[in-house]
Amino acid sequence: MIQINNLTKIYKLSAKQMQKLQTKKSKKIAVNGLSLEAHEGEIYGLLGPNGAGKTTTLRCVATLLKPTDGSIKVCGFDSVKEDTKVRDSLCFLTNEIKLDPNFSPEYMFDFFGRLHGLSESELASRKNELFTVFGITPFKDKKIMELSTGMKQKAAIAVSLVHDPKVVIFDEPTSGLDIITARSVTDYLKTLKERGKTVIISTHIMSEAEKLCDRIGVIIGGKKVCEGTLDEILAETKAADLEDAFFNLYSVHGEKQ
Amino acid sequence: MKNIKIIMGKELKRVFGDKKLIFSLFILPAILVIGIYSIMGMMISNVSSDIEEHKSRVYIVNASDSVKSIIDANGFSKVADIAYYTEDDFNKNADVIHNEILEETADLFVYFDKDMETKIAAYKNQGDEIPVMKYGYNKTSNYSGAAYSNFNEMVKNPYQQKLLAERLGNIELLNVFTTEEENIVKEAKANAEFISQLLPYMIVMLLFAGAMSIGVDAIAGEKERGTLASMLISPVKRSDIVWGKLFSLMILTGISSIIYSGSMIVAMPMMAQMNGEGMGSMFGGVSFGIVQVIELVAIMLALVFLFVSVIALLATYAKDTKTAQTYVSPCYIVVIVAGMLTMFSAGGEIAIEKYAIPIYGNALVIRDICTSEVVLEKFGASLIGTLLIGIICVVAMIKAFNSEKIMFNA
Repeated sequence: MIQINNLTKIYKLSAKQMQKLQTKKSKKIAVNGLSLEAHEGEIYGLLGPNGAGKTTTLRCVATLLKPTDGSIKVCGFDSVKEDTKVRDSLCFLTNEIKLDPNFSPEYMFDFFGRLHGLSESELASRKNELFTVFGITPFKDKKIMELSTGMKQKAAIAVSLVHDPKVVIFDEPTSGLDIITARSVTDYLKTLKERGKTVIISTHIMSEAEKLCDRIGVIIGGKKVCEGTLDEILAETKAADLEDAFFNLYSVHGEKQ
Repeated sequence: MKNIKIIMGKELKRVFGDKKLIFSLFILPAILVIGIYSIMGMMISNVSSDIEEHKSRVYIVNASDSVKSIIDANGFSKVADIAYYTEDDFNKNADVIHNEILEETADLFVYFDKDMETKIAAYKNQGDEIPVMKYGYNKTSNYSGAAYSNFNEMVKNPYQQKLLAERLGNIELLNVFTTEEENIVKEAKANAEFISQLLPYMIVMLLFAGAMSIGVDAIAGEKERGTLASMLISPVKRSDIVWGKLFSLMILTGISSIIYSGSMIVAMPMMAQMNGEGMGSMFGGVSFGIVQVIELVAIMLALVFLFVSVIALLATYAKDTKTAQTYVSPCYIVVIVAGMLTMFSAGGEIAIEKYAIPIYGNALVIRDICTSEVVLEKFGASLIGTLLIGIICVVAMIKAFNSEKIMFNA
């Protein structure tokens, strides 16, 4: 499970970054006192506009960034003090992290499997399962650069899941995918949930969040402004669907930013 | 250690699994080095034979019978088409001859003073008239230069000697003493003079060139493509990633430098051809014993470690390969200059501290290995100095790999 307690992440801006963002402030608060919990056997969805702090939060959970304040625990391990154990417990998929395009999906799968300490028999078994689920087997020997966008994403998902992690963090996992590929990804996320995994996803697609997520947290301006099941959020915001709920929340909290 | 091996395996497969990369990293440089020197050697050889085959066109004014007989006797008439002019002919055609030499349709004119030999014979005391011999030739023309030197060697010098002998009776009067020289030098140093100057420079330059072409892409390229982050999210220590990258880069740099060195050895005969010397005189008598080979390999390994860690560190701090190239290029210039410094040392004892300066100290040791003058303390200082800087770079690199600012621009 994931426990985020009062997470704050502040970026120091360089002169160039200040110029790019057209600001005179030398610091940017990306996440501001955020707390949330995601449990085993649950899909937790993070919703928020661009720059709300979703990716920064997920990066902090994945140990790629260190919290400026607050703490994060993944399966009981502290993300700063026990970062290696945290990384061994989770997988993190984001558009900015890519597989080396010069290798085949099979080589990348074996490479990361070995880095996770899997035996050859475990590797073969995991590969067989994941490559079959995502239809990668016919393309396993092709270079990743030669694959279609959808197949690249499927290969990235399969490789990220090589070590059968307890916690799965996907940052916009269906972004840029066609409807068929997107469905295969969301179906597998449901399978992971049924197997008792803790799944956190960030998404812009409201319908996806409605169908997939057990609980949803809405982040605006680095702060969590609403959290609950779909029904709880709709009741709190007096909206008919999640999109309306999101706009209602944004009209209240977004203007404060 | 297991993870380091896995990462090394991936890095090496990245290169050896790609035929295009093998060609561009290992085969193309060899072809280029050998090709460039072959072409240079061939062109220089062509130019020399062309000059040799060219028959010079020469005007000689006021040539005496004595001059003409020397020209025929010494064979100058066989290498040049000669037009003999009188003073009047010359005065009428001076501008034409001048233009012909300027336009390179003629190569040389030689003007002997009118009644030259009479004036020479009349010379008695200091202040008496000394006749003049004038040359006109085009220094920018190879043909003209060759005609000038051939005339001097085959005609002017013998003619001058003949006239001096006639004037003095005994030409040895001009030699007040003779000189004898003895070259007092260690045999190994004398034999290795050329190679001990060239080898340090070549080794440091080629090792850096090899590391530069591979190291920048392995770190900055992966960072730019977002593939390094996939390794950073795995439960592997950042130090293991760094060492895995460095060891594989060291192996690739080693192979690259062996190929560069091999190409240079193949290309050397072309260089020798340019100098008109054979390979024997360039490498003459240099033989490395087992100890020297071990010393040379140790220094080269230390240099590979240093270069790879410096380049990898700079590539880690760079956002992309383009930025990394701009960081590494000035280092290449420093390396070349440091390698060249040993060529210009005045000799004499060099302090042990200077041997501890990376690159310069290594170049000094390589020079000493060639001349069999290695002192163990200096060798040790060079090795320790180089490894120390390399380790500092590795520590800085591990620190950078743990920095979210550097790795993720956060």
